[in-house]
Amino acid sequence: MRRRVPDFVRKILFVEILKGLALTFRTMLKPPVTRQYPRERRDPKPGFRGQHAFVRNPETNREKCVACQKCATVCPSRCISIRYETDEHGVRHLTKYEIDALRCIFCGYCESVCPVCAIVLTETYEYASYSREGFVYDRERLLHNWDRFAAQLKRPAYFNMFWRPAGADVKRLAVVRRLQQPVPVRQTPDAGIAGTREPRAGQGQAPTQGDR
Amino acid sequence: MEPVGITGTDTRRELTLNMGPQHPATHGVLRLTLDLDGEMVVKCTPHVGYLHRGIEKLAESRTYQGVMPLTDRLDYVASVGNNIGYCLAVERLFGIEAPERAQYLRTIVFEMSRICSHLLWLATHALDIGAMTVFLYCFREREWLLDIFETICGARLTVSYPRIGGVLQDMEPEVLESLDAFTRMFPGKILEYETLIDKNRIWLQRTQGVGVIPAKEAIRWGLTGPTLRGSGVSYDLRRDAPYDAYDRVEFDVPIGKNGDVYDRYRCRMEELRQSNRIIQQCLAALPAGDILAHDAPDLDMPLAGKKELVPEMSLGNASIGFGDAVPVAPKGEIYSAVEVPKGELGFYLMSDGTGNPCRMRVRAPSYVHAGALAKMCEGAFIADVIAVIGSIDIVMGECDR
Repeated sequence: MRRRVPDFVRKILFVEILKGLALTFRTMLKPPVTRQYPRERRDPKPGFRGQHAFVRNPETNREKCVACQKCATVCPSRCISIRYETDEHGVRHLTKYEIDALRCIFCGYCESVCPVCAIVLTETYEYASYSREGFVYDRERLLHNWDRFAAQLKRPAYFNMFWRPAGADVKRLAVVRRLQQPVPVRQTPDAGIAGTREPRAGQGQAPTQGDR
Repeated sequence: MEPVGITGTDTRRELTLNMGPQHPATHGVLRLTLDLDGEMVVKCTPHVGYLHRGIEKLAESRTYQGVMPLTDRLDYVASVGNNIGYCLAVERLFGIEAPERAQYLRTIVFEMSRICSHLLWLATHALDIGAMTVFLYCFREREWLLDIFETICGARLTVSYPRIGGVLQDMEPEVLESLDAFTRMFPGKILEYETLIDKNRIWLQRTQGVGVIPAKEAIRWGLTGPTLRGSGVSYDLRRDAPYDAYDRVEFDVPIGKNGDVYDRYRCRMEELRQSNRIIQQCLAALPAGDILAHDAPDLDMPLAGKKELVPEMSLGNASIGFGDAVPVAPKGEIYSAVEVPKGELGFYLMSDGTGNPCRMRVRAPSYVHAGALAKMCEGAFIADVIAVIGSIDIVMGECDR
């Protein structure tokens, strides 16, 4: 069944193996393509679906969420829970907004349906916690996530590609999303730095540090 | 201890060996029990189900749109294939057709995922057999495509780029340029992989004549994809039941002859070239136009045909049934299959008129191929079992669902 190698000379001279070795030696002289991860980091592409955040509205300094519950309805993993109150004018006021990041599958549906561009998946991909509770993001935490993300963003303004996907039919988009402008990013000094390691001095501190 | 397989007396004894589910060469959590006679496999029994997440059942409680990200988690090395397979099934059920540009974009990403999947297969398959360098080279090229996926949809593996009735968003010119550069660079890289292993005598000895399954048997076992084509059966859904833009591109369906590990390897290597060719043709013929059908359901499609009015609702939504219960999906059932890198991936959907599938069933190629392992491993050596598992390119996420 096994094929005899037809060319006897080739077989003795190990031609095919030498060819392979020549290739690997050539590659050795080229610059390496690997990245030494903790020291070298690659920037995620804009629109990367990472940690959740509420966009901080520059006008009100709060989140833009109007408690329409679209994100909670559309979420395939049911990780968003919303409570709201309706005042006498029929306006909804958000009382509770929670995302369980451990259940989230990062499909980006929430940011795709949000009619007011409130919830986004930021490009932050390094976040850890010592407890499960550290991954349940409430309103304050989501705003904090935004500040942390905004502080390390290298672009002057942030625009999420899911708000107005390229080539999308504008008529199908909510009014706010049609008019949404890039959000100017304010550098907040107290927000801490995301995506980079804590300074060496801070490493031995209490576990709550990891719950940022 | 009693000697095993001693000659002269009648004390030959079979040894039952458990392989997996944590074995690194089983590509996930496949478990095989091997009945051995010395080093020969007398019987091989695959056990599956260690990665069962109940995706089919979950689908029954999600809207048609909500199921889509779940399909990412079937064959997670080529998730676009699952997405498109699912989207096509729903589109055929709903009677929607994606715009032409979306069809071309889908074909492009489908072939990108095929290249990704085949590269990962080649990398791990070669690593299993003992060729480390191929592994590194394959991952180098795969990175390029994963970066493109990240640019167009924000995720590298679980992409969810296609949508029911189209795609998420258009590709920017820079992305298309990057992809074009890839297609020009890639054929040279395939040659590199082949330089390393194609004629390598160790590779040939480990693969030729190993895990043979003749064409007739292969059909009887229900094999599809390169595993079937390696046995010399020319069957490819992209050509035989074209979807998206496959009827508008030219490509060959490579087939093998002997049905051994080597022929399956050759088929996949040729498929890399054909995929590259398809991407090039699609890039050249990419028409302008919409990327989402006008009658495509919204992401937040109603579950029970009724929708509550909420503030800030988009104007586009106003047409989709406020008020009384409006059927969201036509009643009926459909089976729709696509050619994913592993073989034929079929979605069977049953609709009762509500916004969620009444029943979804996935015909996963990996599951069928896992069954045929028993046949292919019969009479092989233990070391060959590794080569055979690699050659059917099994992904347990899809097998167990």
